[in-house]
Order: sequence, then C-alpha cells, then structure tokens
Amino acid sequence: MKKNFLKLTAALAVCLVVLWLLQMLLMPKYMTESKEGNLIAEYYDDFEEHGPHDVIFIGDCEVYENFSPITLWEEYGITSYIRGSAQQLIWQSYYLMEETFEYETPKVMVFNVLSMKYDTPASTGAAAQREAYNRMTIDPMRWSMSKWNCIQASMTDMEREKEAEWMYLFPILRYHDRWSDLSAEDFKYWFKRGDVADNGYLMQTGVKPLVHDHVEKPLVDYSFADSCWEYLDRMRELCEKHGTELVLIKAPSLSPVWWDQWDAQIEEYAEKYDLVYWNFLEHQEEIGIDWNTDTYDTGLHLNVYGAEKMSRYFGQLLVDTFDLPDRRSDAELSAVWADKVAVYNERKAKLEAETASATEGE
Amino acid sequence: MKKILALALALTMVLTLAACGGDKPAETTAPKAPSIVSPVTPDPAAFGYNVRGVDIEMHAEAAPILEALGEPVSYTEEASCAFDGLDKTYYFGGFYLQTYPLNGVDYVYSVWLVDDSSTTPEGVYIGASQAEVEAAYGAEGFNGSNAYIYTSSTATLTILVENGVVTSIQYDAVVK
Repeated sequence: MKKNFLKLTAALAVCLVVLWLLQMLLMPKYMTESKEGNLIAEYYDDFEEHGPHDVIFIGDCEVYENFSPITLWEEYGITSYIRGSAQQLIWQSYYLMEETFEYETPKVMVFNVLSMKYDTPASTGAAAQREAYNRMTIDPMRWSMSKWNCIQASMTDMEREKEAEWMYLFPILRYHDRWSDLSAEDFKYWFKRGDVADNGYLMQTGVKPLVHDHVEKPLVDYSFADSCWEYLDRMRELCEKHGTELVLIKAPSLSPVWWDQWDAQIEEYAEKYDLVYWNFLEHQEEIGIDWNTDTYDTGLHLNVYGAEKMSRYFGQLLVDTFDLPDRRSDAELSAVWADKVAVYNERKAKLEAETASATEGE
Repeated sequence: MKKILALALALTMVLTLAACGGDKPAETTAPKAPSIVSPVTPDPAAFGYNVRGVDIEMHAEAAPILEALGEPVSYTEEASCAFDGLDKTYYFGGFYLQTYPLNGVDYVYSVWLVDDSSTTPEGVYIGASQAEVEAAYGAEGFNGSNAYIYTSSTATLTILVENGVVTSIQYDAVVK
C-alpha cells in the first residue's frame, strides 16, 4: 500500500515537472518581438538582487517609454523602477501596486492616468488584442492573490463564463498548441530570459518627427467610469496605508488625445484628496521636448533622448516636492547603479548603431 | 522507474490534450495580433459615407478609396504599444478617414466630418438642426442628452449635437 502511494506520488511529481517544463517552453518569450512582454517579470529579480526603490512607476507604455530610471539616478541619486506594461489597465495597475507593496514600500508611487479612459475589460479592444495585452501584464506576474485578483478583474463576462481565468493561472492550457510556432528563441530562453529593459524602461533610439497634430473624434461622454474611480480610490487608500505618496501624472505623449474634460476630472480628484497631479503635456516647453528629435513614433512616445529630458525635469520635481534622498553617497548602492548605467550605455550605443544602420539602408 | 515515468508522461499527455477540447478566449497563440482578427465584409446596407462620388463603407479595403479621393491634406499614423501595423488617419479637408491594418492590408475604420463642406448621403451636415437629423434618421437614436447613435450591421453612425445643432458626424466600424 505504502509502496503504491510512493509510486503514485513520484508519478505525480514527474508529471508536474514535465508539465512545468512544457509550459516554460511553450510560452512566448518576447525577447526579439513585443519585448514589452518581459517588463513585468524583470522586476522580481531586480528587487531580489538590488533591494528596494524610492520611487515606483505604475502604468502603461506612457511610463515605460517616457521615463528613464537611469537618468533619475545619474542626475539626482533617485532609485526607481517602472512596473509598466503595454496597455496596462487601471485594475491591473492596482493589483501590480498591491503586489509591489508585498515586496517593498517606496516613498513615492507614480501612476499615469491615461488608463482611466477604459471602464471595463470589454471596452479595451477586440478579443485577440485584449488577450495579447492581458498576457503581457498577467503572465509574467508571480503567483499571488494579487495575480489571481488581477486575472479576475481582467476577464470579460464572456471569458468568465468560459472560465478563461484558469488559462491565465496555468498558461499551458492556453499555449499547449503552440508547437508549430516554436522557434530557436523559445529554446534559447527556455529557462532564463535576458533583460530587455533598464529598471523597467524600454529604450528606443529611433527618430520619427511629429509632422501633423494627432486628432481624435469628439466623444459622446467624457466622464470617467465609476469603476475607474473605484480603482483610483483603492490605489490612494493603499498608498495611504503604507505611508507612500501617490503621484498622478499624465505623460507628455500626444496620442491618444488627453481631453481637457478628462484633465479637469483628475485635477478635481487630486485637489479633493490633496494629491499631486502633474500633466506634463502642459510642461513640454520647460521639459525641452522637441518633437522633431525626441520621439520615435511621431509623438506617441518619447525616444531615449526625450525620456532623458523628461526624467531630468521630473527628477527635480520629485526632489523639490518630496525631499527624496540622494543615494549616490551610498557606496554599495552606487556600485550597483554603476553597473546599471554601464548596461544602459552599452544598450544605447548598440541601439543607436542599429538605428544608424537602418537609416542608411532606407 | 520506467513505469513511473511512463505513467507520468501518459498523465501529462492526457492533461495537455484534455485542454484542447476547451473553449479559447481568443484565436491567437502568440502575442502578435491586430485589433480585428479576420476580415469583415462591408455591408452596403449599413451606414456609409459618400463624398466626391466615392462610397466609403466601414471595413472596406482602403486602397481604392484613398486612390479615388486623391492626395490628403494631412496624414498621421499610430502604432499601438506592442503590435505590428499602423492605424492611419487621413484628412481630406472637411472629413477624416481612419484605417486599421489586417494582414498587411488597410481597411476603413472610421470617417468623421468636421465642417459643413460635406453632408451625409441622407443630407445631414455640421450645423444642421436636431429636427433635420430626426427627419433623416429618426428620433429613436437620441441618447437623451447630446447624441444620436444609430447602429447597423457593420457600422455605427454617431451625430453629436450641442444647443440643438449638429457639431460632429462620425461613422465607425462595428468591432466584435
């Protein structure tokens, strides 16, 4: 009897290991395409190796493309990390914030408010795109209640009916038929992926100037949804509980359009709860953004040159407003960040060479 | 040990294959995906715009329409955060035309009128009265405050009004 039990246990253990190995192999690696899919995962190793940060950014591409933690360190000695992901929705931002507090308690939590425009999972696009974005935020999260709740919050009613949440908890259920799509990248990064970002900042060195202003159709209703306000309330309460300053920002991206009516609602909210809200679209000149040279996609996002300008400006605001410490006098931390700066500069040089080569080829 | 391994592998196969029978939330297995995943056949009976003798139906292939309309006054393009392909916006003076990409082909996503230089096929224009809107399309689309919204099979027509006057006319592809 005991022998049979041991055999069954051993079989189950082997089975689980095989399933885990298959899952690791079959999941997309995001190393050469859609690198955004790696951003959330990189945080855990960085925290475990290098410890906590004074500032954490949470949000969509408007944080991971527009702010450079390396510049914040070099200019002000601020330690920071960007927990950003592509089209990160406000309910996902909340649970990522909640999860972050399980690891560390930053002095400042920066949240980019663009995602207030999406009220429900179903409002965020067609099913395939929605799932692809969800995957890039949720799949890399480590198992926790925050992840489970994030999955639940990200499901449409139809997906919930189909119990799609289990495919997020156990991605092999989703990717089991990806055999025919496997490439060399899947085997190369089967167990360990490389770092694609610098403390969550995804560098771009290309230049594609703004030629014409971005326009969007006027909306029928500019009111943010109750569900979004609820998540913003929960973020505020979470930060209050941990003694962390919640800072609301609107990055200086020109598209999607940030309507004045939206801006007024966030301003009112910030005033009501005594929060700092900076809309950097109103500070482009002081920041020094030149839309001929500082964007790689006609104004949607900044390239590295714009992000460094943005970070110099933002760092000064942070220092002036929150009296953040300059950590550059800490020898141990300085050594860690010296390595990070070296990696950043190496990446920048490599990408600049690639950009130059691509430009010559055009 | 061989028996244990065989049993484990068999169990793994069963579990893995068992998942094949389940419903999927979407068709993609990789993260690359456009916002609309399969071509939508335009419906001539759905709301559509006609300008300069060119019919513009939502989900129609954009290239022949753009060629017929000629050089735009301005053009912008946007890539989404992590996907291939560009959403393109053309301004033709009086109206904007927006396209979405699918498998390397651009399709009409929306058209919106911004001044009174053109009218809808039903005769409504920027500056028209609410009474004219209702005469052309019916009153049932009114949302009770500032818009008339009419939905057909592949297109939605949204007409914004302010102080009883039309301020914006928008055709949008219905996305499922």
